[in-house]
Amino acid sequence: MADNEPGRACSIPYFSRDFLRSSARLSRIGEGALGGKGTGLARIDSLLSRPDIQERLAPYEARIPRTVVLATGVFDSFVERNGLAQFATSSDPDPVVARAFQNAVLPPEILGDLRALIDGVRVPLAVRSSSLLEDSLSRPFAGVYATKMTPNNQADPDERFRKFVEAVKLVYASTYYLGAKAYGRSVARSLPSEKMAVVIQEVVGSRHGPRFYPRVSAVARSHDFYAAGAARPEEGVVSLALGLGKTIVDGGACWTYSPAHPRVPPPYGSNRDLLRMSQSRFWAVNMGSPPVYDPLAEAEYLVQSSLQEAEYDRVIDDLASTYEASSDRIYLGVGREGPRVLDFGPLLRLGGSPFSTALRELVSACREYVDAQVELELACDWSDSRSAPLLGVVQVRPMLVADGDTSLSVDDLTDSTNILGASHAVGHGRLETADVVYVRPDTFDPRETVQIAEEVAGLNRDLVEKGRPYLLIGFGRWGTTDPWGGIPVRWEQVGGARAIVEVSLPSFRAAPSQGSHFFHNVTSLQVLYLGVSESESERIDWSLLERGTEVARTDHVTHVRLDSPVRVEVDGRNGRGRVCPVDPEGGLPGADGSRTESADGND
Amino acid sequence: MTKSNKAYNSFEVAQSQFDRVADLLDLKAATRELLRSPLREYSFAIPVRMDDGSVQVFRAFRVQHNDARGPSKGGIRFHPLETQDTVRALAMWMTWKCAVVDIPLGGAKGGVICDPHHLSAREQELVCRGWVRQIVKNVGPTIDVPAPDVMTSAQHMTWMLDEFEAVTGSRAPGFITGKPISLGGSQGRKEATGYGLVFTLREALREMGLRPEDTVASVQGFGNVAQYAIELFTQIGGRVEAVSCWDQADSTSYTYRKKGGVDLAELRAISDPFGGIHSGRAIELGYEKLSGDAWIEQDVDILIPAALENAIRADNVGRIGKRVRIVAEGANGPTTPEADSALKDRGIFVLPDLLANAGGVTCSYFEQVQSNMNYYWAKDEVLGKLDVKMTSAFLAVHELARKQKLYMRDAAYVIAVTRVAEACHDRGWV
Repeated sequence: MADNEPGRACSIPYFSRDFLRSSARLSRIGEGALGGKGTGLARIDSLLSRPDIQERLAPYEARIPRTVVLATGVFDSFVERNGLAQFATSSDPDPVVARAFQNAVLPPEILGDLRALIDGVRVPLAVRSSSLLEDSLSRPFAGVYATKMTPNNQADPDERFRKFVEAVKLVYASTYYLGAKAYGRSVARSLPSEKMAVVIQEVVGSRHGPRFYPRVSAVARSHDFYAAGAARPEEGVVSLALGLGKTIVDGGACWTYSPAHPRVPPPYGSNRDLLRMSQSRFWAVNMGSPPVYDPLAEAEYLVQSSLQEAEYDRVIDDLASTYEASSDRIYLGVGREGPRVLDFGPLLRLGGSPFSTALRELVSACREYVDAQVELELACDWSDSRSAPLLGVVQVRPMLVADGDTSLSVDDLTDSTNILGASHAVGHGRLETADVVYVRPDTFDPRETVQIAEEVAGLNRDLVEKGRPYLLIGFGRWGTTDPWGGIPVRWEQVGGARAIVEVSLPSFRAAPSQGSHFFHNVTSLQVLYLGVSESESERIDWSLLERGTEVARTDHVTHVRLDSPVRVEVDGRNGRGRVCPVDPEGGLPGADGSRTESADGND
Repeated sequence: MTKSNKAYNSFEVAQSQFDRVADLLDLKAATRELLRSPLREYSFAIPVRMDDGSVQVFRAFRVQHNDARGPSKGGIRFHPLETQDTVRALAMWMTWKCAVVDIPLGGAKGGVICDPHHLSAREQELVCRGWVRQIVKNVGPTIDVPAPDVMTSAQHMTWMLDEFEAVTGSRAPGFITGKPISLGGSQGRKEATGYGLVFTLREALREMGLRPEDTVASVQGFGNVAQYAIELFTQIGGRVEAVSCWDQADSTSYTYRKKGGVDLAELRAISDPFGGIHSGRAIELGYEKLSGDAWIEQDVDILIPAALENAIRADNVGRIGKRVRIVAEGANGPTTPEADSALKDRGIFVLPDLLANAGGVTCSYFEQVQSNMNYYWAKDEVLGKLDVKMTSAFLAVHELARKQKLYMRDAAYVIAVTRVAEACHDRGWV
């Protein structure tokens, strides 16, 4: 995606007040760059306008939602005229920054256009960040900044406008949130150089009573870092969820499969497990009773609903199957009584799965068009009244594929000098570090993962400020939104880690975080990622870590600096990884904490 | 400033403008007669006990030109040379201005013959309170809503509001506009007229295929309207190279020019509250000091008269440079009919005053709405609404001008007069 660098000027038409009456799908307000998302959408819009592409996707129709981009010049004017630049370097807490931004005034020269936009649009709107650094090829900022959806269904246009303006200001404010600053430091970016464009999109979906949502959200990638079984990495991977894509990008329960093998289910131990671990709640825009007023909350207008409500909305007929407890079987569809399992069975298994075929074609077309591996976020919806089922391309961003010459055999994983071995690892390459932050097994308690996340964040902050990359080891899934599934950190809270280890315990299984923003950052930043299974966890040599110099210690987490660095190795071809001393005899001179050999392609 | 030989009478100008439009619309005689003159005029005396113990009687007026479309709206002027005719003309223009931007208000104007420079604050307060006591039965949130104008300010409005509420035994912030924010004023009011002018100017440039960043403007005046017009014009990419203003010390006006563009912030830093620019410091900052009338002869694309009426006249219209494509009237009545004909002949695109400077009354209307609700909007909301109102008004006027091949001023008047005439007809008045 050489010419898709976010700062690159992109020729899309300026907003005119009859935009909504035109057939155009993309327009801009203001001068400057469009940011990562804006630029990506502009390119894909031109691709999707080609009839030959639409033919490849039939019977589906693919297009970007109607989108207006506030270019970075608007952000510059907003910050400058309201004296907000000080927050780029301050340590003010997020609510202080958010309130200052809410109290500021948007540049008057764009207000009329925004007002005209709101007067003309009556479907929910998604207001997304599109920063210069976000989603860029080399430094992903995905998920660091805010996105806010507004129902935009109030009868009074003044009210719609007010809510919309609040959302824009919230996205702007998130540029200077502490998390964004910490993340910026972790990737050695200077926040004052950051500029924010804003993507305003019509939300793809349909209204079902008090909820508005797409039937299916998808994250589709052209390359699969987790390819297993018959699936090959180049066949890509798709994660599906009912409702808004927040479920996927937040790392919630979703259905991940190879689009080349749509009938192969994810590897659950039993049908009961499948029932327990598949998606049971979904996100929608709240079109009903007004929520508690909180302009600083990203999810102010979102509501989480149950599968029962989706069934009431009659949207899961072609998405769910039914579990029969007496036979421990799962039946395709919802034709019989019983708990529903959101396995997208009818969609993926019936009629040759044109849905998967269309997704593969779409991803393939995008990959060819931009000449790079890509990740697409989609919102898909269909109804009796709509002529063709819609694949709405919400975002397109590049993804990285690591390469290198690290090679690990099965025996290497059980080498006696190892600290740990992992038969499920992602990435490719190796690094050496003397700093290790780990959750102590003796004090770990699944009930205290939220507190553990805060403790890790504090240690991460110190290490980032000192410029020391480190190895992070913990239990369960890092970056989960479910505190019972792992340690619910946000990416910026562990942004300084260059290698991450997830350890499964018998009572605490780590499931892959793929499809989430967290995982996107892991892969795109080429953080080495090792998943240690229950059986492998028994072989972890914690004593070697305990011999290091303790730099900091919290209730559950310790930061040690080892006299001799450890090496983290991942062989991406077979998904193996391990952590071992650089010198098993401990004969290396004292480490300076810096990486002595970088993960391939990460510099 | 050189004046033409014949004494300028605003009301005659306003009536001649109306007559021309009445002919264009072929208005019935009764409608013509009704709209050609004010519906109601009040003339009264305000006795004030001065600080020295003497009593001085001030003559005052309120003219309600037409309220068929809604409560009358218009400012109150304190001026030693105030005349009934000036007030009549301004009231009529307010009617057309409210109608052209399609806000549900009629037109009015008021005045007191006095010179605030020679009155203490207490004496001014007594004039304000006396004015309200004399007219209280004929004004109010649903009848006639005053506002600040020449030499009256938010302070005067506050005194008037307080007197009105004291006499009527109520709290009625919708009685008056131009109040301080703390007493029910509207966000964005001080920017509204200047910004509104630039909103229409921006649309005019778009229609003409010109980019703001490729244009240069010269501005007459450096008061509130001019300053905010310059602010927004430069923010959208335009450049202002010359600004004229009144110099109190020399009792004349000067034009300050800087090739490459004036810096609004530095000019604001060396100006007084009335928009007078400090001459010596401007020269130190690299500005050329030219004659007061020089603003009109600059090599620019856009002229913005934003000071007083009677600025572009038969005697100076010929000095307008060949490059000028647009005249955007920030002041009320800045162009005499003779000069207007010359502009028309030259094909200069005129944004007429009743459209270009209607941002002020539009925001006053917003203030009135907010005050009556006792619920107030954020600045973004006010300015967003203002932009939409002004842009919609421009597009309607321009569309009519294009379709019927009318001069912009005539098109604006046609729309305004038609709306008011229809309201009078619908009420059964004519």
